[in-house]
Amino acid sequence: MSHLNQASASEVCVRSPEKSISWLQNFGMWLANNKLLLVLIACSLLMLAPFLWTVGLSLKSNQELMLGASAVFHFPYTLNNYADIFQNSQVFRWLANSLIVSIGMTFWVLILSSLAGYAFARLEFPFKKIIFVIILMGLAVPEQAVIMARHQIFSALEMHNSYVGLILPGLSAPFGVFLMTQFFKAIPPELDEAATLDNANKFQIFWYVLLPLTLPAQATLGILTFLTSWNDYFWPLISATEQEMYTLTIGIASSQQNFAQSEGLGFLASQAIFSALPIILVYIFFQKHIVTAVAGGGVK
Amino acid sequence: MNRKHSLIALAIMSCLTAAPAIADTQLHLQRFFGACEAKYGTNKDVSKAEGECGIMTSLINQFEAKNPDIEIKVTTVEWPGYDQLTAQMASRTPPDLVTMHNSVISDYQSRQLILPIDSLLKKADIALDEFTSTALNGVKREGEVFGLPIDTWTMLYHVNTKLMAQAELINADGSPTLPSSPEEMLSMARQFKEKTGKPYLIQILSNETAAYTRLMYTYLLQQDSNFFADASHISLQTKEARNILSHFKAIYDEDLTTKNMDYPASVSAFSNAQGGILLNGNWLLGTYTAESNKATSAIYNAYKAMPYPKLYDNDALYVDGHSWVMPNKKRSDDKLAATAKFFKFMADNDFEWSRTGHLPSMKNVLSNPDFTSLPHRTELMSVTTRGQGLPGGVKRQFAVQDIIGEEIASAITGVKTIDAALKDAEERVNDLLGNL
Repeated sequence: MSHLNQASASEVCVRSPEKSISWLQNFGMWLANNKLLLVLIACSLLMLAPFLWTVGLSLKSNQELMLGASAVFHFPYTLNNYADIFQNSQVFRWLANSLIVSIGMTFWVLILSSLAGYAFARLEFPFKKIIFVIILMGLAVPEQAVIMARHQIFSALEMHNSYVGLILPGLSAPFGVFLMTQFFKAIPPELDEAATLDNANKFQIFWYVLLPLTLPAQATLGILTFLTSWNDYFWPLISATEQEMYTLTIGIASSQQNFAQSEGLGFLASQAIFSALPIILVYIFFQKHIVTAVAGGGVK
Repeated sequence: MNRKHSLIALAIMSCLTAAPAIADTQLHLQRFFGACEAKYGTNKDVSKAEGECGIMTSLINQFEAKNPDIEIKVTTVEWPGYDQLTAQMASRTPPDLVTMHNSVISDYQSRQLILPIDSLLKKADIALDEFTSTALNGVKREGEVFGLPIDTWTMLYHVNTKLMAQAELINADGSPTLPSSPEEMLSMARQFKEKTGKPYLIQILSNETAAYTRLMYTYLLQQDSNFFADASHISLQTKEARNILSHFKAIYDEDLTTKNMDYPASVSAFSNAQGGILLNGNWLLGTYTAESNKATSAIYNAYKAMPYPKLYDNDALYVDGHSWVMPNKKRSDDKLAATAKFFKFMADNDFEWSRTGHLPSMKNVLSNPDFTSLPHRTELMSVTTRGQGLPGGVKRQFAVQDIIGEEIASAITGVKTIDAALKDAEERVNDLLGNL
């Protein structure tokens, strides 16, 4: 019996190098066939690393992090930094402000850009091309170049520290007009002609026939506008100077306890994660549209 | 109208009429130092608060509790908050009082954007000679006082005494042996490295420009260099400036300092005993004192804080400070009275603020046993008399600091020669100040 056992053991010993060679060969072939996938995985990990690092920091006490950020790699972890955010009575106000401003801006950008895009794509009016070019020139003007004049105008109109003051500047959206114009142009004009034969007026053609066909473009523009508005820092910093009107980006920045934040690193990280959550949700639920947005925006 | 409706109407009327009776004057305060509502949002017992944010929040809570006729509205801004303040001033909606660095006061005072507070101080029964000379100089411009100084701050030597003892750089009384000249500093630094294998200095050399500049100001002041002979013109192509940069460069080239550390890295490096002396501000006093009391800490019973030593002939230190300043806008008499009360309250509680590690602005705190018994304070008291800021009229001091810091770093790391860096720093600063 023991001889038999020895024999089978030696068989196994003889076979296993072949098996491992074959496994290695298979793995090698898989690697060769999936080079691109591997590169993408590596790039994804590279992109994800700062986010995971921030999550790690947010789960550590500030005292531990003061001794070194390597504390992230070992226990104990804590949710105290998140609890501290929820005990700041202003955070939900700032969250609501950010939502109001972002949703408001997105809504109005979609309406205005769609109307303008339709007009430029379908209607004939004097100086159409010149006006279109002037609007597109807006793409080349950075916000910093007009910020002083804009701030003065809003001061004169007493619009600072108001939702209107936060939303209005974002409504001048040359990219939105350009995007919607291109989408409207891509829709066959025969659809308009058919609707005209059915006695539809211009607005009815726009509203009932063409607008539903631009929904992918609306999603694209809507998501990009929402993200831009949510992450905006510069304009809210100088327009929303009352604490009740802070957006989340400004509010969270104001909570920092010293100028280099060496004593509250965990709290700072938890705030960063908290403020990113809505955006992460937007990405998760509208991933397909965001990809289309980025790819389509470049092609159209 | 049924009974329920009558009660609701009565309740609403009561609220409407009661509100003005409870708090009829509102003071809008704007400050940095962060937000800490989670811990101190309702705390009125200042003695139980710790840290800048905790103590400031508790002080304001206590003031409000003691003055029910004054409603305090606080806006917390991201440090330092001057972009926001300037925007508020441009839109004619500044707060009633705002925290400001003394080094920034000239930017606003020169354009009449903030008001002198001499009369309010008189109304609050605060005499000017109650302030330390350093604190008063920090807020005085053209003979008038433009802010209530709440502290004086400076950069310190945070010393690891255990490593200093290992390097045989400790005095008989247990205090660290500090250098009295640049040459002695280099020799001590070499000895320290040889005995401990660690760098003598822990410095912030990445993503920060202020540390080098403040160090340079201190050593320029110690050499009696008149580098701001007039407030709109700096002279840096001088022997004194060259001395300092050569000294900094020697320390860097011989690896007698940590390198490539940003602010948080340098703070944790000292906690982990990675070097002998950390050059950083007095605001870290509380943190390191607490750390040195923990048996598990690498700096357990091994921490001392000292002012920068005198390396040249003059006994001087560069300092700055924080103040409450009053933006220029129309105010009612009630609001002015409330502001005076607030000033008085802050001056009376200057000891509590000094627990943050900042040095007091009121002379009486310096002799207060509660203050002198705080760790390291007796060693640091000289800062309140030795300290000097830049001349009062120098504007854009934060920007000037950045320019000089960038150029010093270029010289020390070898990107530029010392002469080229000083020439560029001088030209860039003068260009900035000449175009205001």
